[in-house]
Amino acid sequence: MIRGNGGVSRALFGDRFTSAASAVVVSATAFVLLVPAALVVVLSFSNDRFFDFPPHSWGLGQYRRLLEDPRWGSALWLSVKIAVPVALLAALVVVPTLFTIHRSRLPLRHALQAGGIAGIILPISAYAVAMYGLYAQVGLLGTYWGLVLANLTLAVPVMLLVTSAAMSRIPPELELAAMVAGASRAQAWFAITLRLLAPAILAGGVLAFVTSLDEAVLVNFLGGPGLETLPKAILDSVRYGLEPVITAIATLLMVGTSLAMALAARLARRGSP
Amino acid sequence: MLDIQGLSKSYGETPALQDVSLQVRQGELLTLLGPSGSGKTTLLKVIAGFEAPTSGRVLLRGLDISRLSPARRGVGMVFQHYALFPHMTVAQNIGYGLKLRRVGGSERERRVGEMLELLHLDGLEGRYPRQLSGGQQQRVALGRALAYDPEVILMDEPLGALDRALRLEMEEQIRGIHRELGATIVYVTHDQQEALALSDRIAIMRAGGVASVGEPAQLYRRPADSFVAGFFANANLLAVSEHELLGGGRARVLCGEGEVRCATSAAAGDPVVLAVRRRSLRPGTQPAVFVSAAIGDIIAATE
Repeated sequence: MIRGNGGVSRALFGDRFTSAASAVVVSATAFVLLVPAALVVVLSFSNDRFFDFPPHSWGLGQYRRLLEDPRWGSALWLSVKIAVPVALLAALVVVPTLFTIHRSRLPLRHALQAGGIAGIILPISAYAVAMYGLYAQVGLLGTYWGLVLANLTLAVPVMLLVTSAAMSRIPPELELAAMVAGASRAQAWFAITLRLLAPAILAGGVLAFVTSLDEAVLVNFLGGPGLETLPKAILDSVRYGLEPVITAIATLLMVGTSLAMALAARLARRGSP
Repeated sequence: MLDIQGLSKSYGETPALQDVSLQVRQGELLTLLGPSGSGKTTLLKVIAGFEAPTSGRVLLRGLDISRLSPARRGVGMVFQHYALFPHMTVAQNIGYGLKLRRVGGSERERRVGEMLELLHLDGLEGRYPRQLSGGQQQRVALGRALAYDPEVILMDEPLGALDRALRLEMEEQIRGIHRELGATIVYVTHDQQEALALSDRIAIMRAGGVASVGEPAQLYRRPADSFVAGFFANANLLAVSEHELLGGGRARVLCGEGEVRCATSAAAGDPVVLAVRRRSLRPGTQPAVFVSAAIGDIIAATE
């Protein structure tokens, strides 16, 4: 199609306008999202005993206080002690689920896909109330394994979402090709499909770990004395008196999870065939 | 060699194969040719063991393999989209079947080397599939299917994803391998040019059944019915107003205003059409006559 000069320059102007507008929107969004995080990082390097902005003195005081108070260390340790089995158990649940959804002809496999991610679609506080009722019945309230199980219900959907995308990119013909060349069905699953899925499972495991590590709602309903995870400790510290030390914890958490997420993204990218 | 007896397959209520019987001879390349949905890929899947037949049997060298797992049938298969293992090198892909058969390291290496040479893949053995062109990937898939010396090789539209120039080159290569190794090949395609170029015999599939089997030239010159004539022989099918069987496989036909004498495969009482191939028309001497000197067939209409 031939256009006059006016048309071309109008089109160019339109182009420039859209790209400028989108640049504004993107930077505004990034700004709004990152400002609180940046403030916390800045505040964590203040030496003041109380929150104040801008800080009066600078230093590593908050980080020193964090190390001196054993409460934070044990809370972090408990969170890790919950998140590791959650990530492992999530993989044990998710892998057979993936094969059922993507490789079987079971009539309810699509319902399984929808149901599998229900845990993160339902409002978390409603979910917590329901689990509280259930746990009270079966005596899981305030127990370690109760918390593991509760976090698992959130970690499984997260992992399922990540790995399901990867699984749908692995053509079923690869298994058929392996089988016709002499592999049993189990060999085809393990040596071909599961092997190709491994990076996505690792990435999903990292996400499951972070999801569990960061879980702050369920623990308030289902935890109890002696079960203070890191997010619960942070919430309690904010509720009973504003200690600036939590800015140091928040900073470390952000750095830790960012590294974990970067690792997960890297694994997922390397694994895509 | 491969004997398919009364094979039927249905998915729920829909029949995909209806009472298919077919013999594949030792060392021949038999093509299953048909439009999509004619059941040719389903037939291939049943032979490979990916689908169980609803009824009927598949015999390989007289042995019933219908209930064996794909792994134990000793067939090789080339898939339309290659289906190479992306995490394995070219050599590992080709050697996969040998490894599963516990063929030792040096023997395996020798055999893989042979395949690389046969398929002109020398020097590429360390590459991964994503680093290869489409044609190279297809050759690796061929090598993977040939390496463990299967009794029958199944090919499911292996050239479907390649562009035209490459397709001609690969046709040449498949023909060469077929001649050189004397392999028995069942080849699925919907492309009749490809079928003509490659096949010893062609089975034309239609609506889950075999419409006609024969050598390409025979199917082309003497199609058994109007479906084969229209689909395979590219014939124009003309309505016949009157016809008379003259005996000896000849007939006299009135078509429009013209009268034609031609060969026929129809029996008395069959509904017929006149099949006329464009290349068998010659300019006539009588101006008013519709088809003056056509060399055609009248054949049994299938509908």
